[in-house]
Amino acid sequence: MPKRNNVPLAVKIVLYLFLVAVTLIWLVPIFIAIITSMRTNADIMSHGFLAMPKTIDLKSYFEAWQRGGLHKYLPNSFIITMPSLVLTLLLSSLGAYSLARFKFKGRTFFYFLFVGGTMLPFQILLLPVFKLSDALGIYDTYFALIAIHTAFQLGFCTFVLRNYMMTVPVQVMESARIDGCTELGIWGKIMLPLTLPAFAAIATLEFTWIFNDYIWPLVLIRSSEKMPVTTGLATLQGQYVQDWTVIISGALLATIPTLIVFIFLQRYFIAGLTLGSNK
Amino acid sequence: MLNAKTRYKLIPYAFLGIPVTIYFIWIIGPMLYSFYLSFTKWDGLTAPEFIGTKNYQMLFQDEVFYISLFNNLEWIILFMTIPIALGLTLAMVLNRDIPGAKTFKASFFLPMVLSLVVCGLVWSWLYSPHSGLINEVLRRIGLGALATGWLSNPKVVMEAVITVAIWRQVGYVMVLYLAGLQSVDQNLLDAAEVDGASALQRFFNVLMPQLAPVTVIVIVISIIDSLRAFDLVSVMTRGGPYNQSSVLANFMYIEAFNNYRMGYGAAIAVIIFIISLLFIMFYLTRIAREETNA
Amino acid sequence: MKNKIVISVLAALFVLGMAPLFAGGQQEGAAEGGQAAEQDVVVYNSYWSDPEPKRVEAELMEMFKEQNPGVKLIHSTVAHEDFKQAIRAYLTSSAPPDVLTWFAGNRARFFIDKGLIMDISDVWEEAGWNESYSKGFRAMSSVDDKQYFLPGNWYWWAVYYDTRVFDEYDIEIPKTWDELMAVCEKLKSNGVTPFTVGTKYRWTAAAWFDYLNMRVNGPEFHINLMLGKESYDDPRVLKVFNDYWGPMIDKGYFVESPASYAWAEAIPFMTNGDAAMYLMGDFIRDSYPKEDLEYLDFFRFPIIDPSVPVGEDAPTDGYFIPKNSQNPEMAKKLLKFFGSKEVQEYVAKELGRLVTNNKVDTSVYNENQLKGREIVNAADYVAQFYDRDTTPEMADKGMNGFMEFWQNTDQAEKILEKLEKSRQQLFEE
Repeated sequence: MPKRNNVPLAVKIVLYLFLVAVTLIWLVPIFIAIITSMRTNADIMSHGFLAMPKTIDLKSYFEAWQRGGLHKYLPNSFIITMPSLVLTLLLSSLGAYSLARFKFKGRTFFYFLFVGGTMLPFQILLLPVFKLSDALGIYDTYFALIAIHTAFQLGFCTFVLRNYMMTVPVQVMESARIDGCTELGIWGKIMLPLTLPAFAAIATLEFTWIFNDYIWPLVLIRSSEKMPVTTGLATLQGQYVQDWTVIISGALLATIPTLIVFIFLQRYFIAGLTLGSNK
Repeated sequence: MLNAKTRYKLIPYAFLGIPVTIYFIWIIGPMLYSFYLSFTKWDGLTAPEFIGTKNYQMLFQDEVFYISLFNNLEWIILFMTIPIALGLTLAMVLNRDIPGAKTFKASFFLPMVLSLVVCGLVWSWLYSPHSGLINEVLRRIGLGALATGWLSNPKVVMEAVITVAIWRQVGYVMVLYLAGLQSVDQNLLDAAEVDGASALQRFFNVLMPQLAPVTVIVIVISIIDSLRAFDLVSVMTRGGPYNQSSVLANFMYIEAFNNYRMGYGAAIAVIIFIISLLFIMFYLTRIAREETNA
Repeated sequence: MKNKIVISVLAALFVLGMAPLFAGGQQEGAAEGGQAAEQDVVVYNSYWSDPEPKRVEAELMEMFKEQNPGVKLIHSTVAHEDFKQAIRAYLTSSAPPDVLTWFAGNRARFFIDKGLIMDISDVWEEAGWNESYSKGFRAMSSVDDKQYFLPGNWYWWAVYYDTRVFDEYDIEIPKTWDELMAVCEKLKSNGVTPFTVGTKYRWTAAAWFDYLNMRVNGPEFHINLMLGKESYDDPRVLKVFNDYWGPMIDKGYFVESPASYAWAEAIPFMTNGDAAMYLMGDFIRDSYPKEDLEYLDFFRFPIIDPSVPVGEDAPTDGYFIPKNSQNPEMAKKLLKFFGSKEVQEYVAKELGRLVTNNKVDTSVYNENQLKGREIVNAADYVAQFYDRDTTPEMADKGMNGFMEFWQNTDQAEKILEKLEKSRQQLFEE
């Protein structure tokens, strides 16, 4: 946003410092997580959780990678998250396009259906979906997880994309239609590019949600060789003894992909690829 | 062959075909099944046994249900105010060209990507009564009287958990508003300024209306998130001490999966669903009105 | 232009996204094809997610693979809490794991009664377990004289204390309630909190209820209460709360705000000298700081009423085979392996727990194990633990009641009335 020179510099500096302070306080829990990840369990047990570390080492990161099984869980997370993400975005943009652009019988009904589904506490679907997956013969496969993630996120994505598509001026599409473009063509060549900022925003959120999901693999996956990183890391939590440093290092490592996705995609939805510039 | 007009009429259904089919099989079907389950007694192992409305009768006499409901309401109220105010403020500040804007954005977004287990753990340590950072700071600055067992004192435990949720939510709301601010028409704001509108007037009369679509999404998300709030409670307190920090989703999960009362759990889920719908009704009716007007 | 780039990026993402799926799918197909050719696959899921048991189990798995080179063993560890939820899916799925870990006693009985567990009487017969396992363990595994379960190992509960504190204040080990109260008073007057406890996950409070109720009212009453045959508003239960437990809390014999700590987070109070004792299971040893371990000792929970039989908590873990097991032959082979003298000795030595097979020579036990074993052997009745002896739903309500009582010691009557209502609802259902 442009120049507002009516605020004195001193006030600006004070406000800026205030912002820095708030940010630092905001990050305290994360600093603690990082410091703890470099301590040892024995150190924690004898000096408590918030003591400064006696020694700093990165051993627990290697432990998380090896003994914690991150080297096998992390690829699984991608195998589950990427197809789910792509399918959800693709399918919901199809649905949203239909809901936003056409007037037809049942339009409101379908829209309510998608919105209504997102209201449901998903935990209650656990056992019915488990029975379904078992009956379909996809229990203990990646497909079971991809299917439920795709389906469950459809509601929210359709909701957001439909709202976003409503703001695209009709004239743009009408002119394409007159030029002889098919509906699928309009969707692919005009609507998709125009909705990219919304895509970028929900892709980030959806990636975070699907990647961090912890509960579905519990009921839909039986063997640890197919577990994603969240559920896999949980196996470091014993009945009595918790492998704190390895859990935290593992979880921090598992955060990196999400962070990269965010950094990569934030360029798109904050860089100005927006409706305003297309008006 | 179908004529062009009929073909054209079928197009929207063709677009909806695959998503709706998948949605029906994986979500709506199991959802309806859950509604049915709420009238049964089911341990998840043998066949469900139909018991009529007994689950609901029990539920309305269950003290924990009311505690959870109240906690959820508190959650919704706090979630619709603090994160939105903070998130919007941050978005407006960071939308300017200030040094390090990217770093600030990333810092506030960071809690969102951190796994809930880690958030829960780290905050439990901050809250620890004996050596936790919060009590330490309170004691240092002479407010030692306020120090308490944040997660064991029934009076403050819920607020303590919600604080963590807010800590995560602010960055999320900020990001949504940052995206929203991109489509704000700067000319309108400038014009208002030229016309002598005060900053507050510009904010409420020019900026907010333009941000309305984002605000709707943020509010819907806040409501859904508050009613589905589960993970943090589960990691930090499991609803304890003695259910004082219980929320509906957590209550449902414990009944269904810890106590193996699937039918009872399903009844709680149905109630959550209905409450969500009530909250979302104002939005849906607006849509419906738009539909009929259009 | 820019849009084209974005679209190609998205397309690339799509391909990248879908590729592993198909690659994964193919791999899976190949693996399944392989499985079909080589008959001997056994799937074993366990809840041994604590670091030490996990290590020992991994070693056992290697031993099994060495002994059975033709068998493909798929072993998955699931977090202990998660396992308890996942087991319902396992048992009802069409392809469950072939062998599962589970709790002995009521919790196993529940699934056996639903017909979800395989009858393994033949394994007991062939492996000679009818002789090599004590009558108690055999009874624990049987329904209608058929065996469904294999008890694997167990541990004891006791009052753990720091010898340095006891030495410093010249304290003798208390054997009776009065002696224990005298010890507490002495510690308290010296500024030491008698007991540490972390009740965040509630079961540590349940241990106190188990022991107080068994010592005051006897194990028979206790177990009937667990089974829903006695009522929570019984004056005998109230006595436990108002005459024993409540006064201890009121007098400050426990650390402040215990509900803020998970059980292990309360250990530092003991190692830094702020507190002296902890009612705990022997797994406390795995979490106790190594440098303080030599000062950790334990004694039997003191006797309150000498006329009452002695009950102890000694939870037993074991294994069973789901009814739908795809490969019962291999499952039984694995079970025999777990029950063998060789494996049991290994577990006893490596894990410090007690094992079930009588053939195991007691010389593998260390001093601690022998002492713990002695406590349990001297008992008239052995209970599993509050949340294993009663139903999961009652355990949940009960433990919440204990937590509420801890915060409101004057409310015992009201809390117990509430529990009684739950009991009627849950057991009558």
